[in-house]
Amino acid sequence: MADILQILILGLALGGVYALMGAGLSLVFGVMRIVNLAHPSLIMMGAYVAFWGFRLYGIDPIVMLPVAMVILAATGVLLYKLVFEREAKSAKYSEMTVLLTFAFAMVFEGALATAFTNTQRVTTPDYAVDAIFIGNVFIPLGQLYAGIVSLVLIGALALYLKYSRFGYAIRATTQNREAAELLGVNVNFVGLVSFAIGLALAGAAGALVSFVFSFFPSKHWEWIAILMSLVVLGGMGSILGTVVAAYILSVVAAFVGFFFGATLSTLTFFVALFVVLLVRPQGLFGEKPELA
Amino acid sequence: MSSYDTVDQIVAARKAYNETLAQAADRTRVTWLPVLLLVILALFPLMQFVGNYNYPIHLVLYTLMYVTMASGWNILGGFTGYISLGHSVFFAVGGYFAGMILARYGVSTIIMAPVAGLVAGLLGYMIGLITLRVRGPSFIISSLALVMICRILFEKWQFVGGAAGLSLPINDLPVQWAKLPYYYAFLVMAAFGVWVAYRVKHSKFGLGLRAISKDEIKAESAGIDTRFYKVLAFAISAFMFGMAGAVWGEYLTYVRPNIFVHILYFSVWPALMCILGGKGTIAGPVVGAVLIVAFNEFFVATLGASAINILATGLIMALTLMFFPLGLIGTLARYRKLPRALNWD
Amino acid sequence: MSLLTVKNVVAGYGDGPAILNGASVDVQPGKVHCIIGPNGAGKSTLLKAICGMLKIRSGEVTFKGESLKGLRPDQVLRKGICFVPQERALFPKMTVRENLRMGGFSMTDKRLLEKRIDEIEERFPILKERRDQHAGTMSGGQQQTLSMARTMILRPEIVMLDEPSLGLAPKIVQEIFDIIRVMAADGITILIVEQNALMGLRCADWGVVLDLGRTLFEGPAEEVLADPRIREAYLGAKKAA
Repeated sequence: MADILQILILGLALGGVYALMGAGLSLVFGVMRIVNLAHPSLIMMGAYVAFWGFRLYGIDPIVMLPVAMVILAATGVLLYKLVFEREAKSAKYSEMTVLLTFAFAMVFEGALATAFTNTQRVTTPDYAVDAIFIGNVFIPLGQLYAGIVSLVLIGALALYLKYSRFGYAIRATTQNREAAELLGVNVNFVGLVSFAIGLALAGAAGALVSFVFSFFPSKHWEWIAILMSLVVLGGMGSILGTVVAAYILSVVAAFVGFFFGATLSTLTFFVALFVVLLVRPQGLFGEKPELA
Repeated sequence: MSSYDTVDQIVAARKAYNETLAQAADRTRVTWLPVLLLVILALFPLMQFVGNYNYPIHLVLYTLMYVTMASGWNILGGFTGYISLGHSVFFAVGGYFAGMILARYGVSTIIMAPVAGLVAGLLGYMIGLITLRVRGPSFIISSLALVMICRILFEKWQFVGGAAGLSLPINDLPVQWAKLPYYYAFLVMAAFGVWVAYRVKHSKFGLGLRAISKDEIKAESAGIDTRFYKVLAFAISAFMFGMAGAVWGEYLTYVRPNIFVHILYFSVWPALMCILGGKGTIAGPVVGAVLIVAFNEFFVATLGASAINILATGLIMALTLMFFPLGLIGTLARYRKLPRALNWD
Repeated sequence: MSLLTVKNVVAGYGDGPAILNGASVDVQPGKVHCIIGPNGAGKSTLLKAICGMLKIRSGEVTFKGESLKGLRPDQVLRKGICFVPQERALFPKMTVRENLRMGGFSMTDKRLLEKRIDEIEERFPILKERRDQHAGTMSGGQQQTLSMARTMILRPEIVMLDEPSLGLAPKIVQEIFDIIRVMAADGITILIVEQNALMGLRCADWGVVLDLGRTLFEGPAEEVLADPRIREAYLGAKKAA
């Protein structure tokens, strides 16, 4: 029984981080209908920002988090302006953008690996290896902190989307781009800002990931499938759905890992992705198969 | 105030335009270049009599393997419009199947290649039945998931050697001739791949595939069995990858999950070659394969690191997609600048 | 003096063929105009060209003497022309109240916006009743009411409706046309495209027959209804709903 509880807690602790990793992806898809396969490689970039901040200047990764967000947001503005704005009129837009983001995933991976080699890295603030004990079960402190920060950021995003004027514009564009445009929303600008926010979230996730998982540039391939499984299960574009899916899959993966070993634990995400795409392409919360 | 007269004029003009297009295609189609290329490549190993051409032979062989795969990928990705980034799965399946037969019974993979292709094709048919139910980005993502799943399965499957893979015997030919069996095998496969692509494109089947790529719902309402067509296209492309993987295993003398289920080299590259050369054209994958292998050689020779290689592949892909989405052959054809020699359609 | 003049407009989608081949319409202030014509005649295309969703290849669209050519949809909206497309243009996962707020997205005065939303809710009690319900969960007629009511928040001069009766039950259609008359009584100039030509013309002051991308006939709605040639070609097969 204690075992079960322990696994559940470990799964939930990671769920928050996965949720944040997927949230930006979901936002970008919602507003721009871009399946951003480069998102995980951008998270990787955020992780390196935090890593070097800690390694060179001893700055705590959670303190580096805003820095990573700003750097990634700037990257987002640049990418949007140089690449995605001009693709908006492309005939096979969704397919085109998938291939393009895939290409950029390779560019970022290659750039990171060239600059920092493929050595396995991890940021090691004190709390990363600490844990608190409650009776027989323990909660790793690093994962706990990362989970809390993730939930705070996602909560802030949700409030912003729900109540700010620009949040209205973002939601409206997600739900009906043409109608939003007709009502006076500058959808291109909304796209730019959402893209930047999405990448800022990738940066934040990267900073947290840097002390939760060990990482190296080519690891983003594994994350692609993991994150895709979250957003696809949650219903592409639904941030709430992504969060719920993150917790579900994270817990399931923790159990699979406990009973069948760590390798098969990752397989959970891949198989879930495959099955969801084929059985219910709209995901848990989607209403129509937008991707199909 | 009727404008029926103008409508008639427009229809007539359209018909005339279509006819000139058809005639132009007829006049520009050439067969001598592919045939000449084939003859030159068949005679190329004779160079071994006058010097050491082991490395150039390796490069040509490597390119030919990619011509086989890119031409196969083209049938699904180019004609049908289903972009797969997971075909390394079929490359690996072919490699493992033929590798196991070689390791157990000593039958050369060159002989087994067509069988390995069939096994991969059959698997492709079955996977296609499932994954081709979704299209567009969903299909692309499902193909990525397939690679991830396949990689883990091969690493866990002890029967085929787990993560260490299979070791295969080295043939006992003298060094300068050791590569030749594989060289000719790949030459035949590449020619076969291009020929199949050509035959498919000019068949009713190929017409159906192109209809699916344009508008699947309309194609279906026009009476095309879209499901069967798509799945068959998937199986044919998987067949090409399976054959290539089979012979590549013996050539390398080992089959290993991290090499064979490699997403960059055996999933992305064939796709990229097609896109760069021109999706849906016959010469496109060939030109793309030559270009990518040449680029790769250049990068490896000048910069060495594999990380730069990934960076360069990504950049080439991004720039091609942004500025030449139709690929080299497609863009040239669009502006009517395509040299006759490269119009193999 | 016409409020909006469309003159010899040629337009189409992307690089495709021209759908409009020199369409012309005169929109009179304060009247209800109904554009009829068979499928593919270019009716919806005309509205999209006016509101800036499609590029006008040649011809002229002037509103109060100013050209609308080359303006973006949000700019046309600011001039006072609202467009309700066929798909109703609602945000399915936003509440009714949030949808109304989106209607005033281009307004900067938040208090004025809330005041106008309150007014709208007074006039359309159903919207008040459902204010916290997601728009996507309402019935077709309620959705159409919402999208029409939403345009009134901006107090526009012209409202263009693309097939407001599409997919609605006959009884509901009558309600929708009643709302159109109410809007017209408020002094809003209305331009509707209607498949249900008889119904549309009966509600309208002015009729326009469009076919093959050109204006075939324009005149008072009763005249269009009475013209035997038009009755035969465009109204004959249609049963009154």
